[in-house]
Amino acid sequence: MNGEYRSAADSDLVARAAAGDGSAFHALVERHRAMVYRVAYQFAGNHHDAEDIAQDVFIKVYRSLERFRYDAQLTSWLYRIVMNACIDHRRRHAPAGWAPFTDDAELKMLNAPEEGPGPEETAYGLQLGEVLEAEIARLPPGQRLVFTMRHHEGLKLSEIADALGLAEGTVKRQLHAAVHRLRAALSASRVTVGGRA
Amino acid sequence: MSTCGLAAAGTIEQYFYGELTPADAARVDVHLRECAACRQHVDDLRAIRSALSARARVDAPPAGDWSGFTRRLDSAMPTARTRRTVIPWLAIAATLTLVTAGVFVTSRISRNQPTLQTPPASTSAQEAASAARLPQAVRPATNAGVASVADQSLVRHSEEHFERSKLVVLGLATLDPHQAHAGDWQHERELAGSLLPDTRLYRLAAEDRGMTDLARVLGDLETVLLETSMTDHPDRESLERVQRLIARRDLVVKMNVVGSGI
Repeated sequence: MNGEYRSAADSDLVARAAAGDGSAFHALVERHRAMVYRVAYQFAGNHHDAEDIAQDVFIKVYRSLERFRYDAQLTSWLYRIVMNACIDHRRRHAPAGWAPFTDDAELKMLNAPEEGPGPEETAYGLQLGEVLEAEIARLPPGQRLVFTMRHHEGLKLSEIADALGLAEGTVKRQLHAAVHRLRAALSASRVTVGGRA
Repeated sequence: MSTCGLAAAGTIEQYFYGELTPADAARVDVHLRECAACRQHVDDLRAIRSALSARARVDAPPAGDWSGFTRRLDSAMPTARTRRTVIPWLAIAATLTLVTAGVFVTSRISRNQPTLQTPPASTSAQEAASAARLPQAVRPATNAGVASVADQSLVRHSEEHFERSKLVVLGLATLDPHQAHAGDWQHERELAGSLLPDTRLYRLAAEDRGMTDLARVLGDLETVLLETSMTDHPDRESLERVQRLIARRDLVVKMNVVGSGI
């Protein structure tokens, strides 16, 4: 990335990219790819899917450059695209009828064989962080996304609700449900470690 | 893992993540001095934050090598560019088709309907008339041509969707919380879950087209369906919560208004 692009504001890069400047678009990708990849990895739990999602995000960004509202923050716009790309990715790879914010999806996730052992079993030989990460990977996609955006990315509940087109109360309940499960994993981990001591 | 009402409402998470107003946060501070369960909740959140912050954050492909990602993205971009050049032509073609259809519908209406009171004679005209019957609050912009035809189509599909959804909403609204069986509840939950994706799509389409009132009714329906599909315990409290939601949003009346075009 040359100095001109490095110091340019996001909005300038978007304007240039929308006018056909490929280098400006690459500068945008380089600037924001780490954030996009981080969220995608938190959601997908593996590099292969994280890369797929990140690619989808930047292709969508490229196709909708003209629709960017210059009075908005690029990161807010990007977060919205990332969250929707995560949901779309999950939908493409899930059985028919899957919906991201229903308990049906939760049951499917819980019953899926690739989910791995529960928190009690996972606790053995693992650090607490690993136990929690394993539990995050087992959260229903909607809860996982809300928890990731709130906890890891620091988005407000209202921002998450806006990006996902949901009521703030719904997002609040999703976060609460996610935290409830992580606390249960934490508690099980304490019991397991305590029991072994 | 005991809990209290404040924690069950998600307020402790809001407190922990700094999302409460100063006054509400101060009230939670006071509460925490008295409530051991909520103190434990906050301690757990701190432990979760601490344990997760110690984990490495994955924000790049393995070994930080972006070359494969960049190569694949670059190879996808020409397709994206091609689509961008093709899309305007597709849009022009689609527009011409819609304008032609709009002119056709308008001419049929003018020919077969000298006055608005005359019943429509063709399916297309019935569709147009159906949209025209909608109350002003949910009627789309009535510019003749492209937008009008597309908007009317969306309204028509939304009406049909409301008809399907009304059965669920009415079923929920009339279930007796004291006598509802688990099977009834499960049935409504499944129906609500199956209607949810379409409701969301229609709502987003209505928002995109600036049909805010229609989008609002669809949004209310989405909230009710979501709440229903998320509730897996066939208990009285859950059903009452859903029923309060339906009543508070006046959903049955709104859906009837949109559906009947009064």
